[in-house]
Amino acid sequence: MKKKNGLYFLGFILVIIFIAEMIGIQSIPVGKVRISILPLVFAVLIGMVLGIPAFRKGVLKKVYAKENVDFAGKYLIFIMLPLMARYGADVAPKLKEILSVGWVFLFQELGNVGTVLIGLPIALLLGLKREAIGATLGLGREGELAYISEKYTLNSPEGRGVLSLYLIGTLFGAIFFSVFAPLLLSFGFDYRALAMSSGVGSASMMTAASSSLVAMMPENESVILSYAAASQLLTSFLGTYTMVFIAVPLQSFMYKLLTGGKKNDKTRAA
Amino acid sequence: MTKLVQHKYIKFGLVLALSISLILFTQFIKLVKNPESTPINWMTIAGLLVLWGFAFLGLLISDLMKKTNLKVLADFPVLGWVSIVSLVFCLTSNFFVEAIGAVDFLAITTPVLAFAGISVADHLVDLSKTSWRVAIVAVFVFMGTYTGSALIAQLGLILSGK
Repeated sequence: MKKKNGLYFLGFILVIIFIAEMIGIQSIPVGKVRISILPLVFAVLIGMVLGIPAFRKGVLKKVYAKENVDFAGKYLIFIMLPLMARYGADVAPKLKEILSVGWVFLFQELGNVGTVLIGLPIALLLGLKREAIGATLGLGREGELAYISEKYTLNSPEGRGVLSLYLIGTLFGAIFFSVFAPLLLSFGFDYRALAMSSGVGSASMMTAASSSLVAMMPENESVILSYAAASQLLTSFLGTYTMVFIAVPLQSFMYKLLTGGKKNDKTRAA
Repeated sequence: MTKLVQHKYIKFGLVLALSISLILFTQFIKLVKNPESTPINWMTIAGLLVLWGFAFLGLLISDLMKKTNLKVLADFPVLGWVSIVSLVFCLTSNFFVEAIGAVDFLAITTPVLAFAGISVADHLVDLSKTSWRVAIVAVFVFMGTYTGSALIAQLGLILSGK
């Protein structure tokens, strides 16, 4: 990081935080329910929108200098570490309670194949073919990216599918879950069930989902954060196995079923 | 070689220090906006230092584990190691729980997402190369994983009578 542009970058981060916090928690009506939008959503939006190439003039050009954007990408994970340390403190006092419903935590991991069950039919309906394999295997984070690139390479249709999903998730994942989680809460889901499912496997999406739930129900902050963090940890351990042993076979079965298995029959006949 | 390693960890330490400074700044702004929010006191400072310590320790463990031949341990993300380190310490002493509790949770999240927003700025252009079909699929994929887990969890909670 060049020193001069680096200072612009730091100053800009402070400005983003200041503006996002001054906007504060906004309650937005969606149909009959009100959804709380957190400062973190405004922070990510400001950072993204001002980075649109057309806006990059003057000071913003210095802020979004290549070395600064690279720095933000490379060290984002380190900036996140104190957040992950905070989650440990949330889980510790609730550990007994969590272990008492431990099997529910285990089973809800299987719900992650919902990406295949719901995503794949929609993808095929929209006319996607092999891209659908990459785009619906999972949430399209590092685990799926590694698996698909190893099996098909990233230059294949499957690879393009997973890369697109990765990109969309990186850009809009946190924003999406900060709206979707409170929405499900208003549909009558138990907040503990939603907290558990927040451990989707991406730290920023989990944080967005769980903290939006907290904004709706501040009295349950400790339960929500601890359940979400525990489930996220479990996903870190089991995610790869759920993908390889359940999502992959299920996906190839459904793909054959829904496409009539033409391609595969040909290869088999030959 | 040792010099290089030292340099690497000094850099990590400084970035972590930046992270907790931004958290403190955010908590301060929260207080300006709403004097009723989580106060800043010595426990907050202690909490931030504890967070720094756990993060650094988690980083070291993650680096050590990468050298082992056990794939499960080597592949486990550093984010997970930090949570585990913190969990273990917080189980041994309530002081850590109280100190970390003096740091406002939402004040931790805003700086992270501000960073995230800037880090993806250069990818916005790639979005035009993405097909609109995958974008629609993405929405259903996100809904699928979350709703799938929520339905099972809900059922599980009902069955266990909790």
